[in-house]
Amino acid sequence: MKRSLSAPSGLWLVALPAAAIVIVPVLAVFWRTDWSSFLTSISNETSRTALVLSLRTSLVATSLALVFGTPLAWLLANRDFKFKSLVRAFCVLPMVLPPVVGGVALLYAFGRRGLVGARLDEWFGIQLAFTETAAILAQFFVAAPFFILVMEAAFDQVDRRIVGTARTFGAGPWRTFATVTLGLVRPSLLAALVLTWARALGEFGATIAFAGNTAGRTQTVPLAVYSQLESGGDDALALSTLMMIVSLGVLIALRGRWVSALRRGGQ
Amino acid sequence: MSLEINCQLRRDQFNLEVHLTVAPGSVLAITGENGSGKTSTLDMIAGLLACTTGKISLNSRVFDDSTTNQFVQPEKRSVSTVFQGGGLFSHMTVEKNIVFGRGAAFRNTPRFDSAVEQFDLAGLLSRKPSTLSGGQRQRVALARAFLAPSEILLLDEPTTSLDATSRDEVRSAMKTFFETYNGVVILVSHDDAEIAELATNVAQITISRGENTTATLHS
Repeated sequence: MKRSLSAPSGLWLVALPAAAIVIVPVLAVFWRTDWSSFLTSISNETSRTALVLSLRTSLVATSLALVFGTPLAWLLANRDFKFKSLVRAFCVLPMVLPPVVGGVALLYAFGRRGLVGARLDEWFGIQLAFTETAAILAQFFVAAPFFILVMEAAFDQVDRRIVGTARTFGAGPWRTFATVTLGLVRPSLLAALVLTWARALGEFGATIAFAGNTAGRTQTVPLAVYSQLESGGDDALALSTLMMIVSLGVLIALRGRWVSALRRGGQ
Repeated sequence: MSLEINCQLRRDQFNLEVHLTVAPGSVLAITGENGSGKTSTLDMIAGLLACTTGKISLNSRVFDDSTTNQFVQPEKRSVSTVFQGGGLFSHMTVEKNIVFGRGAAFRNTPRFDSAVEQFDLAGLLSRKPSTLSGGQRQRVALARAFLAPSEILLLDEPTTSLDATSRDEVRSAMKTFFETYNGVVILVSHDDAEIAELATNVAQITISRGENTTATLHS
Protein backbone atom coordinates (compact mmCIF):
# COMPACT_ATOMS: atom_id res chain seq x y z
CA MET A 1 0.00 0.00 0.00
CA LYS A 2 1.24 3.45 -0.87
CA ARG A 3 1.10 5.66 2.17
CA SER A 4 -0.42 8.79 0.67
CA LEU A 5 -3.81 10.23 -0.15
CA SER A 6 -5.24 8.51 -3.22
CA ALA A 7 -6.03 10.37 -6.46
CA PRO A 8 -8.85 9.48 -8.85
CA SER A 9 -7.73 6.28 -10.59
CA GLY A 10 -7.04 6.10 -14.30
CA LEU A 11 -5.98 9.72 -14.69
CA TRP A 12 -2.67 8.71 -16.27
CA LEU A 13 -4.46 6.87 -19.01
CA VAL A 14 -6.31 10.01 -20.07
CA ALA A 15 -3.48 12.44 -19.33
CA LEU A 16 -0.89 10.59 -21.40
CA PRO A 17 -2.33 11.44 -24.85
CA ALA A 18 -2.36 15.12 -23.90
CA ALA A 19 1.33 15.00 -23.06
CA ALA A 20 2.13 12.82 -26.09
CA ILE A 21 0.55 15.16 -28.60
CA VAL A 22 3.01 17.86 -27.49
CA ILE A 23 6.05 15.70 -26.87
CA VAL A 24 5.96 13.50 -29.99
CA PRO A 25 6.23 16.31 -32.59
CA VAL A 26 9.17 17.82 -30.69
CA LEU A 27 10.92 14.47 -30.66
CA ALA A 28 10.03 13.93 -34.33
CA VAL A 29 11.80 17.14 -35.36
CA PHE A 30 14.95 16.19 -33.47
CA TRP A 31 14.76 12.62 -34.79
CA ARG A 32 14.46 13.64 -38.42
CA THR A 33 17.08 16.36 -38.28
CA ASP A 34 20.16 15.48 -40.28
CA TRP A 35 22.74 16.64 -37.76
CA SER A 36 25.65 16.27 -40.21
CA SER A 37 24.16 18.95 -42.48
CA PHE A 38 22.47 20.94 -39.70
CA LEU A 39 25.13 23.64 -39.56
CA THR A 40 25.34 24.06 -43.34
CA SER A 41 21.55 24.23 -43.54
CA ILE A 42 21.21 27.00 -41.00
CA SER A 43 24.20 28.94 -42.31
CA ASN A 44 23.30 29.09 -46.02
CA GLU A 45 22.36 32.46 -47.52
CA THR A 46 18.56 32.28 -47.05
CA SER A 47 18.72 30.87 -43.52
CA ARG A 48 21.42 33.27 -42.39
CA THR A 49 19.58 36.29 -43.74
CA ALA A 50 16.36 35.13 -42.07
CA LEU A 51 18.16 34.48 -38.78
CA VAL A 52 19.83 37.87 -38.70
CA LEU A 53 16.56 39.59 -39.62
CA SER A 54 14.63 37.63 -37.00
CA LEU A 55 17.15 38.43 -34.31
CA ARG A 56 17.18 42.14 -35.18
CA THR A 57 13.42 42.59 -35.50
CA SER A 58 12.55 40.56 -32.41
CA LEU A 59 15.05 42.47 -30.28
CA VAL A 60 13.71 45.83 -31.51
CA ALA A 61 10.10 44.69 -30.94
CA THR A 62 11.01 43.56 -27.40
CA SER A 63 12.75 46.86 -26.68
CA LEU A 64 9.67 48.74 -27.87
CA ALA A 65 7.52 46.59 -25.58
CA LEU A 66 9.88 47.47 -22.70
CA VAL A 67 9.90 51.20 -23.40
CA PHE A 68 6.19 51.66 -24.10
CA GLY A 69 4.76 48.69 -22.23
CA THR A 70 6.32 49.47 -18.84
CA PRO A 71 4.55 52.82 -18.34
CA LEU A 72 1.28 51.37 -19.60
CA ALA A 73 1.52 48.38 -17.27
CA TRP A 74 2.35 50.69 -14.34
CA LEU A 75 -0.63 52.92 -15.08
CA LEU A 76 -2.96 49.93 -15.38
CA ALA A 77 -1.75 48.63 -12.02
CA ASN A 78 -1.61 51.91 -10.10
CA ARG A 79 -4.01 54.46 -11.49
CA ASP A 80 -7.72 54.58 -12.03
CA PHE A 81 -8.71 56.24 -15.26
CA LYS A 82 -11.66 56.34 -17.59
CA PHE A 83 -12.09 53.32 -19.84
CA LYS A 84 -9.37 51.45 -17.94
CA SER A 85 -10.96 48.04 -18.39
CA LEU A 86 -11.50 48.82 -22.05
CA VAL A 87 -7.83 49.77 -22.47
CA ARG A 88 -6.79 46.59 -20.69
CA ALA A 89 -9.10 44.47 -22.84
CA PHE A 90 -7.62 45.97 -26.01
CA CYS A 91 -4.09 45.40 -24.71
CA VAL A 92 -4.81 41.71 -24.26
CA LEU A 93 -6.86 41.32 -27.45
CA PRO A 94 -3.87 40.33 -29.65
CA MET A 95 -3.31 37.31 -27.38
CA VAL A 96 -6.65 35.80 -28.34
CA LEU A 97 -6.87 37.18 -31.86
CA PRO A 98 -5.64 34.98 -34.74
CA PRO A 99 -2.30 36.66 -35.58
CA VAL A 100 -3.15 36.83 -39.27
CA VAL A 101 -6.23 38.88 -38.39
CA GLY A 102 -3.91 41.16 -36.43
CA GLY A 103 -1.84 41.52 -39.60
CA VAL A 104 -4.93 42.45 -41.60
CA ALA A 105 -5.86 45.00 -38.92
CA LEU A 106 -2.35 46.46 -39.05
CA LEU A 107 -2.65 46.69 -42.82
CA TYR A 108 -5.90 48.65 -42.54
CA ALA A 109 -4.32 50.93 -39.95
CA PHE A 110 -0.80 51.48 -41.28
CA GLY A 111 -1.01 50.19 -44.84
CA ARG A 112 -0.72 52.66 -47.72
CA ARG A 113 -4.50 53.08 -47.82
CA GLY A 114 -4.89 52.60 -44.09
CA LEU A 115 -6.42 54.89 -41.53
CA VAL A 116 -3.05 56.23 -40.35
CA GLY A 117 -0.91 54.88 -43.17
CA ALA A 118 -2.59 57.06 -45.82
CA ARG A 119 -1.72 60.20 -43.82
CA LEU A 120 1.84 59.01 -43.19
CA ASP A 121 2.26 58.51 -46.91
CA GLU A 122 0.57 61.78 -47.86
CA TRP A 123 2.31 64.01 -45.29
CA PHE A 124 5.70 62.40 -44.79
CA GLY A 125 6.04 59.97 -47.69
CA ILE A 126 6.39 57.12 -45.20
CA GLN A 127 5.18 53.70 -46.28
CA LEU A 128 5.23 51.08 -43.56
CA ALA A 129 3.56 48.01 -45.06
CA PHE A 130 5.86 45.31 -46.45
CA THR A 131 8.97 46.79 -44.83
CA GLU A 132 11.20 45.62 -42.01
CA THR A 133 9.44 48.17 -39.78
CA ALA A 134 6.18 46.40 -40.59
CA ALA A 135 7.71 43.10 -39.44
CA ILE A 136 8.73 44.81 -36.18
CA LEU A 137 5.26 46.31 -35.70
CA ALA A 138 3.65 42.93 -36.37
CA GLN A 139 5.86 41.32 -33.74
CA PHE A 140 5.18 44.12 -31.29
CA PHE A 141 1.44 43.74 -31.88
CA VAL A 142 1.37 40.07 -30.96
CA ALA A 143 4.13 40.02 -28.34
CA ALA A 144 3.66 43.23 -26.32
CA PRO A 145 0.48 41.94 -24.60
CA PHE A 146 2.57 39.28 -22.85
CA PHE A 147 4.88 41.97 -21.53
CA ILE A 148 2.05 44.26 -20.43
CA LEU A 149 0.12 41.47 -18.71
CA VAL A 150 3.08 40.11 -16.77
CA MET A 151 4.27 43.59 -15.79
CA GLU A 152 0.83 44.78 -14.70
CA ALA A 153 0.61 41.78 -12.39
CA ALA A 154 4.13 42.51 -11.14
CA PHE A 155 3.46 46.21 -10.43
CA ASP A 156 0.21 45.25 -8.76
CA GLN A 157 2.14 43.02 -6.36
CA VAL A 158 4.45 45.81 -5.22
CA ASP A 159 3.63 46.86 -1.66
CA ARG A 160 2.25 50.43 -1.76
CA ARG A 161 3.61 51.02 1.72
CA ILE A 162 7.16 50.24 0.64
CA VAL A 163 6.82 52.71 -2.23
CA GLY A 164 5.39 55.26 0.22
CA THR A 165 8.31 54.65 2.56
CA ALA A 166 10.75 55.49 -0.21
CA ARG A 167 8.89 58.75 -0.81
CA THR A 168 9.13 59.73 2.86
CA PHE A 169 12.88 59.19 2.71
CA GLY A 170 13.25 61.94 0.16
CA ALA A 171 13.00 60.01 -3.10
CA GLY A 172 10.77 61.69 -5.69
CA PRO A 173 8.38 59.66 -7.82
CA TRP A 174 10.95 58.95 -10.53
CA ARG A 175 13.75 57.95 -8.18
CA THR A 176 11.31 55.77 -6.25
CA PHE A 177 10.22 54.09 -9.47
CA ALA A 178 13.78 53.53 -10.67
CA THR A 179 15.38 52.34 -7.44
CA VAL A 180 12.55 50.72 -5.51
CA THR A 181 9.69 49.67 -7.81
CA LEU A 182 11.89 48.44 -10.65
CA GLY A 183 14.18 46.68 -8.19
CA LEU A 184 11.26 44.85 -6.65
CA VAL A 185 9.81 43.73 -10.01
CA ARG A 186 13.16 42.77 -11.55
CA PRO A 187 12.55 38.99 -11.64
CA SER A 188 9.19 39.53 -13.34
CA LEU A 189 10.71 42.06 -15.72
CA LEU A 190 13.31 39.54 -16.89
CA ALA A 191 10.69 36.83 -17.31
CA ALA A 192 8.44 39.24 -19.21
CA LEU A 193 11.29 40.26 -21.54
CA VAL A 194 12.27 36.70 -22.38
CA LEU A 195 8.67 35.65 -22.91
CA THR A 196 7.99 38.65 -25.13
CA TRP A 197 11.14 38.08 -27.14
CA ALA A 198 10.28 34.40 -27.67
CA ARG A 199 6.79 35.32 -28.86
CA ALA A 200 8.17 38.00 -31.21
CA LEU A 201 10.74 35.57 -32.60
CA GLY A 202 8.03 33.06 -33.47
CA GLU A 203 5.63 35.54 -35.04
CA PHE A 204 4.20 34.38 -38.37
CA GLY A 205 0.59 35.30 -39.15
CA ALA A 206 0.64 39.05 -38.58
CA THR A 207 4.03 39.34 -40.28
CA ILE A 208 3.03 37.57 -43.49
CA ALA A 209 -0.16 39.65 -43.75
CA PHE A 210 1.31 43.05 -42.93
CA ALA A 211 4.97 42.75 -43.89
CA GLY A 212 4.86 40.09 -46.57
CA ASN A 213 7.43 37.40 -47.22
CA THR A 214 10.34 39.08 -48.97
CA ALA A 215 13.70 37.40 -48.43
CA GLY A 216 16.19 39.77 -46.81
CA ARG A 217 13.54 42.35 -45.96
CA THR A 218 10.63 40.75 -44.13
CA GLN A 219 11.31 37.03 -44.32
CA THR A 220 11.94 36.12 -40.70
CA VAL A 221 12.77 32.55 -39.67
CA PRO A 222 9.17 31.31 -39.30
CA LEU A 223 8.40 32.69 -42.77
CA ALA A 224 11.54 31.11 -44.19
CA VAL A 225 10.47 27.77 -42.71
CA TYR A 226 7.08 28.15 -44.38
CA SER A 227 8.62 29.03 -47.77
CA GLN A 228 11.08 26.16 -47.58
CA LEU A 229 8.30 23.77 -46.70
CA GLU A 230 6.24 24.97 -49.68
CA SER A 231 9.11 24.64 -52.13
CA GLY A 232 10.25 21.32 -50.70
CA GLY A 233 13.62 22.64 -49.53
CA ASP A 234 15.60 20.85 -46.84
CA ASP A 235 16.27 23.86 -44.66
CA ALA A 236 12.74 23.89 -43.16
CA LEU A 237 13.64 21.06 -40.83
CA ALA A 238 16.99 22.51 -39.76
CA LEU A 239 15.47 25.94 -39.07
CA SER A 240 12.62 24.32 -37.18
CA THR A 241 15.10 22.43 -35.07
CA LEU A 242 16.94 25.66 -34.33
CA MET A 243 13.70 27.41 -33.29
CA MET A 244 12.86 24.42 -31.14
CA ILE A 245 16.24 24.59 -29.41
CA VAL A 246 15.83 28.33 -28.78
CA SER A 247 12.32 27.85 -27.36
CA LEU A 248 13.37 24.99 -25.11
CA GLY A 249 16.35 27.06 -24.00
CA VAL A 250 14.02 29.91 -23.05
CA LEU A 251 11.79 27.60 -21.03
CA ILE A 252 14.75 26.01 -19.28
CA ALA A 253 16.22 29.45 -18.52
CA LEU A 254 12.96 30.64 -17.02
CA ARG A 255 12.22 27.33 -15.25
CA GLY A 256 8.51 27.97 -15.02
CA ARG A 257 9.07 31.47 -13.67
CA TRP A 258 6.83 33.02 -16.31
CA VAL A 259 3.96 30.80 -15.21
CA SER A 260 4.20 32.15 -11.69
CA ALA A 261 4.82 35.60 -13.12
CA LEU A 262 1.54 35.39 -15.02
CA ARG A 263 -0.20 34.02 -11.97
CA ARG A 264 0.86 36.48 -9.32
CA GLY A 265 3.36 38.92 -10.73
CA GLY A 266 6.42 36.77 -10.01
CA GLN A 267 9.04 37.77 -7.42
CA MET B 1 7.16 76.26 16.51
CA SER B 2 5.60 72.82 16.24
CA LEU B 3 3.69 70.35 14.17
CA GLU B 4 0.05 71.36 13.94
CA ILE B 5 -2.64 69.14 12.61
CA ASN B 6 -6.27 70.12 12.29
CA CYS B 7 -7.85 67.96 9.68
CA GLN B 8 -10.49 65.48 8.69
CA LEU B 9 -10.32 62.38 6.57
CA ARG B 10 -13.63 61.15 5.17
CA ARG B 11 -14.13 57.76 3.64
CA ASP B 12 -17.42 56.06 2.83
CA GLN B 13 -18.83 55.76 6.33
CA PHE B 14 -15.75 56.58 8.33
CA ASN B 15 -14.69 60.00 9.56
CA LEU B 16 -11.36 60.64 11.14
CA GLU B 17 -10.92 63.89 12.99
CA VAL B 18 -7.42 64.85 14.11
CA HIS B 19 -6.44 67.86 16.20
CA LEU B 20 -2.87 67.67 17.41
CA THR B 21 -0.10 70.03 18.34
CA VAL B 22 3.27 68.42 18.93
CA ALA B 23 6.35 70.37 20.00
CA PRO B 24 9.87 69.48 18.86
CA GLY B 25 11.68 67.32 21.40
CA SER B 26 8.50 65.69 22.60
CA VAL B 27 7.39 62.16 21.92
CA LEU B 28 3.66 61.82 21.35
CA ALA B 29 2.20 58.34 21.67
CA ILE B 30 -1.03 57.65 19.78
CA THR B 31 -3.18 54.79 20.96
CA GLY B 32 -6.54 53.46 19.89
CA GLU B 33 -8.21 50.31 18.72
CA ASN B 34 -7.41 48.64 15.40
CA GLY B 35 -8.91 50.35 12.40
CA SER B 36 -9.46 53.61 14.28
CA GLY B 37 -7.21 55.59 11.98
CA LYS B 38 -3.79 55.63 13.66
CA THR B 39 -1.93 54.65 10.51
CA SER B 40 -4.05 57.03 8.42
CA THR B 41 -3.04 59.83 10.79
CA LEU B 42 0.64 59.06 10.16
CA ASP B 43 -0.04 58.82 6.43
CA MET B 44 -1.59 62.30 6.41
CA ILE B 45 1.42 63.75 8.21
CA ALA B 46 3.85 61.94 5.89
CA GLY B 47 1.94 63.03 2.80
CA LEU B 48 0.90 59.57 1.68
CA LEU B 49 -2.72 60.63 2.14
CA ALA B 50 -4.27 64.06 1.70
CA CYS B 51 -6.66 65.47 4.29
CA THR B 52 -10.20 65.71 2.98
CA THR B 53 -10.50 69.06 4.71
CA GLY B 54 -8.22 70.95 7.07
CA LYS B 55 -4.61 71.86 7.45
CA ILE B 56 -1.27 70.39 8.48
CA SER B 57 1.77 72.57 9.08
CA LEU B 58 5.21 72.35 10.60
CA ASN B 59 6.72 75.53 12.04
CA SER B 60 4.37 77.58 9.86
CA ARG B 61 5.44 75.64 6.77
CA VAL B 62 2.15 74.43 5.27
CA PHE B 63 2.17 70.74 4.24
CA ASP B 64 -1.48 70.35 3.40
CA ASP B 65 -4.29 72.89 3.26
CA SER B 66 -7.64 72.10 1.72
CA THR B 67 -8.69 75.77 1.60
CA THR B 68 -5.71 76.91 -0.48
CA ASN B 69 -5.32 73.56 -2.25
CA GLN B 70 -1.73 73.19 -1.10
CA PHE B 71 -0.18 69.74 -0.87
CA VAL B 72 3.50 69.11 -0.28
CA GLN B 73 4.78 65.77 -1.60
CA PRO B 74 6.16 63.31 1.00
CA GLU B 75 9.76 63.70 -0.18
CA LYS B 76 9.60 67.43 0.59
CA ARG B 77 8.20 67.13 4.13
CA SER B 78 11.40 66.14 5.97
CA VAL B 79 9.79 63.20 7.64
CA SER B 80 11.30 59.83 8.26
CA THR B 81 9.28 56.75 8.95
CA VAL B 82 9.43 53.38 10.64
CA PHE B 83 6.36 51.55 9.46
CA GLN B 84 4.97 48.26 10.66
CA GLY B 85 7.22 45.37 9.74
CA GLY B 86 10.03 47.85 9.04
CA GLY B 87 9.10 48.81 5.50
CA LEU B 88 12.56 47.75 4.31
CA PHE B 89 13.45 47.45 0.62
CA SER B 90 13.70 43.70 0.21
CA HIS B 91 15.93 43.86 -2.89
CA MET B 92 18.60 45.99 -1.20
CA THR B 93 21.22 45.08 1.37
CA VAL B 94 20.97 46.44 4.90
CA GLU B 95 23.69 48.97 4.07
CA LYS B 96 21.82 50.30 1.02
CA ASN B 97 18.62 50.42 3.02
CA ILE B 98 20.03 52.56 5.79
CA VAL B 99 21.69 55.11 3.51
CA PHE B 100 18.61 55.33 1.25
CA GLY B 101 17.70 58.79 2.54
CA ARG B 102 21.26 60.04 2.07
CA GLY B 103 22.92 58.46 -0.94
CA ALA B 104 25.74 55.94 -1.19
CA ALA B 105 28.53 58.40 -0.36
CA PHE B 106 27.18 58.71 3.17
CA ARG B 107 28.72 55.33 3.99
CA ASN B 108 32.06 57.00 4.61
CA THR B 109 30.89 59.40 7.27
CA PRO B 110 31.33 59.20 11.04
CA ARG B 111 27.57 59.48 11.45
CA PHE B 112 27.12 56.27 9.47
CA ASP B 113 29.64 54.48 11.67
CA SER B 114 27.95 55.71 14.81
CA ALA B 115 24.54 54.54 13.53
CA VAL B 116 25.94 51.10 12.78
CA GLU B 117 27.27 50.94 16.31
CA GLN B 118 24.23 52.44 18.01
CA PHE B 119 21.80 50.04 16.32
CA ASP B 120 24.21 47.09 16.48
CA LEU B 121 24.28 46.41 12.73
CA ALA B 122 27.99 45.68 12.18
CA GLY B 123 27.49 42.04 11.13
CA LEU B 124 24.38 42.67 9.09
CA LEU B 125 25.40 45.31 6.54
CA SER B 126 25.70 43.01 3.53
CA ARG B 127 22.62 40.92 4.34
CA LYS B 128 19.21 41.16 2.66
CA PRO B 129 16.19 41.97 4.87
CA SER B 130 14.59 38.57 4.22
CA THR B 131 17.44 36.90 6.14
CA LEU B 132 16.97 39.04 9.26
CA SER B 133 14.90 38.42 12.35
CA GLY B 134 11.99 40.72 13.18
CA GLY B 135 14.02 42.60 15.77
CA GLN B 136 16.99 43.03 13.42
CA ARG B 137 14.68 44.36 10.74
CA GLN B 138 13.27 46.98 13.08
CA ARG B 139 16.77 48.04 14.13
CA VAL B 140 17.65 48.51 10.44
CA ALA B 141 14.47 50.55 9.95
CA LEU B 142 15.37 52.69 12.97
CA ALA B 143 18.91 53.22 11.68
CA ARG B 144 17.54 54.33 8.30
CA ALA B 145 15.23 56.82 10.02
CA PHE B 146 18.11 57.95 12.25
CA LEU B 147 20.40 58.68 9.29
CA ALA B 148 17.86 60.48 7.13
CA PRO B 149 17.69 64.23 7.70
CA SER B 150 14.27 64.87 9.21
CA GLU B 151 12.24 67.09 11.48
CA ILE B 152 9.43 64.61 12.05
CA LEU B 153 9.84 60.98 12.99
CA LEU B 154 6.85 58.69 12.55
CA LEU B 155 6.79 55.20 14.03
CA ASP B 156 3.92 52.79 13.46
CA GLU B 157 3.84 50.01 16.04
CA PRO B 158 7.56 49.33 15.78
CA THR B 159 7.54 46.55 18.37
CA THR B 160 4.26 44.81 17.56
CA SER B 161 4.76 41.21 16.44
CA LEU B 162 8.20 40.98 18.05
CA ASP B 163 9.12 38.47 20.74
CA ALA B 164 9.96 39.77 24.23
CA THR B 165 13.75 39.82 23.76
CA SER B 166 13.68 41.65 20.41
CA ARG B 167 11.08 44.02 21.80
CA ASP B 168 13.41 45.05 24.61
CA GLU B 169 16.28 45.49 22.13
CA VAL B 170 14.24 47.65 19.79
CA ARG B 171 12.76 49.62 22.66
CA SER B 172 16.16 50.52 24.09
CA ALA B 173 17.36 51.44 20.57
CA MET B 174 14.39 53.81 20.28
CA LYS B 175 15.11 55.30 23.69
CA THR B 176 18.67 56.24 22.75
CA PHE B 177 17.47 57.51 19.39
CA PHE B 178 14.75 59.77 20.88
CA GLU B 179 17.12 61.22 23.47
CA THR B 180 19.27 62.85 20.80
CA TYR B 181 16.50 63.64 18.32
CA ASN B 182 15.54 67.31 18.04
CA GLY B 183 12.39 66.96 15.98
CA VAL B 184 8.84 65.83 16.58
CA VAL B 185 8.34 62.16 17.37
CA ILE B 186 4.98 60.43 16.91
CA LEU B 187 4.77 56.85 18.06
CA VAL B 188 1.76 54.65 17.39
CA SER B 189 1.70 51.93 20.02
CA HIS B 190 -0.57 49.47 21.80
CA ASP B 191 1.91 48.77 24.53
CA ASP B 192 1.38 50.64 27.82
CA ALA B 193 4.84 49.79 29.14
CA GLU B 194 6.42 51.10 25.94
CA ILE B 195 4.39 54.30 26.11
CA ALA B 196 5.31 54.81 29.77
CA GLU B 197 8.99 54.36 28.97
CA LEU B 198 9.27 56.39 25.78
CA ALA B 199 6.47 58.91 25.43
CA THR B 200 6.21 62.42 26.86
CA ASN B 201 2.55 62.85 25.85
CA VAL B 202 -0.27 60.49 25.00
CA ALA B 203 -3.26 60.99 22.73
CA GLN B 204 -5.99 58.44 22.36
CA ILE B 205 -8.33 58.01 19.43
CA THR B 206 -11.91 57.82 20.63
CA ILE B 207 -14.56 56.30 18.47
CA SER B 208 -18.25 56.98 18.30
CA ARG B 209 -20.24 54.56 16.25
CA GLY B 210 -23.52 55.42 14.65
CA GLU B 211 -24.63 55.46 11.08
CA ASN B 212 -21.18 56.84 10.40
CA THR B 213 -18.17 55.98 12.51
CA THR B 214 -16.28 58.98 13.77
CA ALA B 215 -12.82 58.65 15.24
CA THR B 216 -11.44 61.64 17.07
CA LEU B 217 -7.88 62.34 18.13
CA HIS B 218 -7.08 65.25 20.44
CA SER B 219 -3.84 66.14 22.11
